[in-house]
Amino acid sequence: MIRRALGPVGIASAVSFAIAVVAVAIVLSGNLNADLNLDDRLTGPSGRAWFGSDQLGRPVLARVIAGAPWSLGVALAANAISLCIGVVLGLLAAEFAGAPRRIILQVVNLTLSFPGLVAAMAAVAVLGQSAMAVILVLGLLAWPLFARVVYAEALSARERPYLIAARIGGVGRVTQVYRHILPVLLPSLIAMTAFHFADMLIAASALSFLGVGAPLGSPAWGAMLAESRPYLFQAPWMLIGPAFALATTVLLLNLCGDALARRLGGRRRTELRR
Amino acid sequence: MGLRDPVSSVSSGLKGGEVSRGSRTQAWGSRLAAGARVTELGIVLRRGLDLGLLLLGLSTLLFLLLRATGDPISALASDDATPEMLAALRTQYGFDESLPIQYAKFLGRLLQGDFGQSMASGDSALSMVLQALPATLLLAFLAMGATIMVAVPLGAWLGSAPDRPAQRAAAAVVYVLQGTPGFVAALVLVQVFAIQTNWLPALGFAGPRTWVLPALSLSLFLAPKLARVVAVNVDEMMRQDFVRAARAAGAGPGVVLWRHVLPNAMLGAVALMGAQFAALVGGAVVIETIFAWPGLGRLLVQSTLALDFPVIQAAALVVAGLVFAANVITDLVFVMLDPRLNITEAR
Repeated sequence: MIRRALGPVGIASAVSFAIAVVAVAIVLSGNLNADLNLDDRLTGPSGRAWFGSDQLGRPVLARVIAGAPWSLGVALAANAISLCIGVVLGLLAAEFAGAPRRIILQVVNLTLSFPGLVAAMAAVAVLGQSAMAVILVLGLLAWPLFARVVYAEALSARERPYLIAARIGGVGRVTQVYRHILPVLLPSLIAMTAFHFADMLIAASALSFLGVGAPLGSPAWGAMLAESRPYLFQAPWMLIGPAFALATTVLLLNLCGDALARRLGGRRRTELRR
Repeated sequence: MGLRDPVSSVSSGLKGGEVSRGSRTQAWGSRLAAGARVTELGIVLRRGLDLGLLLLGLSTLLFLLLRATGDPISALASDDATPEMLAALRTQYGFDESLPIQYAKFLGRLLQGDFGQSMASGDSALSMVLQALPATLLLAFLAMGATIMVAVPLGAWLGSAPDRPAQRAAAAVVYVLQGTPGFVAALVLVQVFAIQTNWLPALGFAGPRTWVLPALSLSLFLAPKLARVVAVNVDEMMRQDFVRAARAAGAGPGVVLWRHVLPNAMLGAVALMGAQFAALVGGAVVIETIFAWPGLGRLLVQSTLALDFPVIQAAALVVAGLVFAANVITDLVFVMLDPRLNITEAR
């Protein structure tokens, strides 16, 4: 009903207005002041620190906001890497039957049958802790998920009449893939990128939580969760801030992916079966 | 690998395009990338070959990766060790030889089942892994049992009438829970049931009371996904001809749902259940760490942080074998549940 009354533009402006009001309120309330403030250690939610303060007196909200670029940036970059590798190898597997396909599919299946977090942990421990290491390791470990979907869809796209016509008409292989197959894959890829973003965010946070992701003391959400553990009794709000941020972001990304899939006709979350 | 959480993903989705048309044929496509006829024996043979390849590839990767770290001996020895002591240690662990020779010896020892000793404790790496195994298996069975008991009835109910208000509300809750990462759920559960109310122990491995929270945390993460997949499959089956036939023959709604629809819908859900179980068997790394659960996942975390190579190698190879076995069992269950798969499998 509301949607009908306002239309998409109305909703968008209402939401932007609400976000702007909240943002101004956060700035004015002093929640962004992340300086150490030892008088306010582990205090509960207050006007100055809506989500309480941590063991050094910094508002939890300020740290969650400061950690967003690390957490989201790492997830986004890893997502981009695995998307690129997955699309290229998935298309190669679909295009070249025989040895290339067999090898790529074998690697995909083997990678997928090994617990990735374990591999990622070992690799990050070896490469040293940095955002770059986490991005590379997650990106290089996660591409089979894209490759599998791309392969499956490209294979069925190749059987469509217009592609057969294109082949008979002498259209080159590269043009076939670039002009005729890739566009067919886009809906699935766009939706999948949203889901995968969420997965990468969880993985990066889990690594940070285990102590092999973000460096010690960084406000990355996983590291904040790990930091909150000694204060479970005195300051539960230290857990609530980053946990809420992480869970909400993942939920929004999933909703986004499903909405996109519905709109564009790609695969939805349940259909990806993971 | 899914990478994401302890519990990530494995199966499905290779055969293109036919997403809506029953998931089991799809799962098959990925499992047997180029299989012709599907028989139990064929599966076992094929998978045996795959397992060999996987273990060889993995051990080579581990060998190279772990030796890329620099000098493991300097991490192992105390700070005031003399160069002579370092050299002696290097000889003792065989790090003084050239890489190809180290590799050949390494593979030879692996073939004999010798994974070496832990650099930290001196115990046999393999026996440390085998000691951690029962705790991980226990957790996997508990979590999977709880997940199935909750998710299958819930999914059947959700899928039987997806458009009614009660089902829509429940589906929304399930959707939100599905997005909650497992370790966030675990931390919140600890906060609620251990810290605030003191009903259950927050960590440890001592009797059934300590089992509840870890298993619950995992199920909270696994069950929503399974429930959604069951619901989608039930919804799809409800529209099949055999359901109409059963109704026409006078079967009540309960009989239709539980006798006719659910068994067929479960075929689609088995792929996900197998993947979830495989991931659990590999060690729920984060959950085990949170609850100080003495399983494979925690052992892997500890040995990784300590750069204890022999234990990492043994654990990784055992995990790979276990995950593989779980996947093969899933394939076999498929064939047993659905005789149609025995006849033909295209491409």
